[in-house]
Amino acid sequence: MSIQSPKVDVSVTPNSSRAARLRFWARGLFLLAVGAPLVLSPLRARGQAAGTPAAEPNAVQIDVKLVIGGGTIKNNSVGTLSVAGNSLQFATGKAQLDIPAPSILDISTHEDSRQNITGAAHFATMAIPYGGGRALALFSHEVDVLTVEFKDTNGGYHGAVFVLPQGQAAPFKKQLVARGAKATLPLAEPGSDNK
Amino acid sequence: MTHHTRSTVSVGFPIVLACTLLLMAGSLLGQAKPVPKPVPMFSASAIQIEPPDPGDVPMPAEFRMAIYESLIAHIEKTGKFRHVYRSGDKDAAAVPDLVTLRTTAQAFKKGSQKKREVTTVTGATSMTLKVNITDHAGKTILDRNVKGQVHFMGENLRATYDFASRVADIITEKFYTAGHTTER
Repeated sequence: MSIQSPKVDVSVTPNSSRAARLRFWARGLFLLAVGAPLVLSPLRARGQAAGTPAAEPNAVQIDVKLVIGGGTIKNNSVGTLSVAGNSLQFATGKAQLDIPAPSILDISTHEDSRQNITGAAHFATMAIPYGGGRALALFSHEVDVLTVEFKDTNGGYHGAVFVLPQGQAAPFKKQLVARGAKATLPLAEPGSDNK
Repeated sequence: MTHHTRSTVSVGFPIVLACTLLLMAGSLLGQAKPVPKPVPMFSASAIQIEPPDPGDVPMPAEFRMAIYESLIAHIEKTGKFRHVYRSGDKDAAAVPDLVTLRTTAQAFKKGSQKKREVTTVTGATSMTLKVNITDHAGKTILDRNVKGQVHFMGENLRATYDFASRVADIITEKFYTAGHTTER
């Protein structure tokens, strides 16, 4: 019976540690090579932008409801409202409404609230017993209403009413006024009823 | 003898009653039917819609615009006019028999959709506007107050749809279809 002492190969240890150190440095260099451009590029861009004044980005808002006044676009269509070039654009998947800013006679914004459950689902809630449907009517959310009055090329007067998420109407009014649209009420501080 | 008299009365009374009723019915039918007053009807090939005048009534812009656009859509749908012109349309001036529709706010109460749907008795949105239609010479041919309201279901702006629908009904009732020739 013999007791074997555990073998420790000491001769291998210096070589393996050197290899590990080399692998570590190689990995570090690789990460530095890959990461440096990624880290530095925003700095460079920021440095470039610092020289010139930053232009205000055009207002864009998705999921805007055109309540009425879209001409060929159906009432209550949902689409993207944006300030593009010198005009206000509302685009759905099928059609687009383009209102040049100088043709706008008045813009007004207003805060309102809308029910969370609308359409067919709303009718379905009426079937909930014990007044459950009425209880669901308590859930609503605040919205901004943007009303635009404008003239077409033939002089015809139009009105369009858009519903946007809360606090999103004011930037549109501000940018359109800057592009030549008229507004009887000036843009007031946020929180007031009519801006 | 008494029994005989009683039976005569019991048989005779319904006959007399029936005869009386028949005579009354006959006399009523024989009377000449009252001739309904002829309702004045108008004819025009085109109408121009002016935007609502809020007057002294504080009516939000979205309601005014919704009334205006709803009126145009509903009046076009009646098919009574060849052209429905918007306010300011340059082509309207050339139409000789153009009529103009103007609306002036008389009353406006903005309700709450939430209140309406929860309570079913409060929160109604209602509006009353004076509807005035004039001919090309400026003579008034129709002038009346029309109400629009939403009592239970729907958003507040639905009251404008209700108003426009009622105005369209009046126009359907009062105007011949464009190109109609009256019998002489």
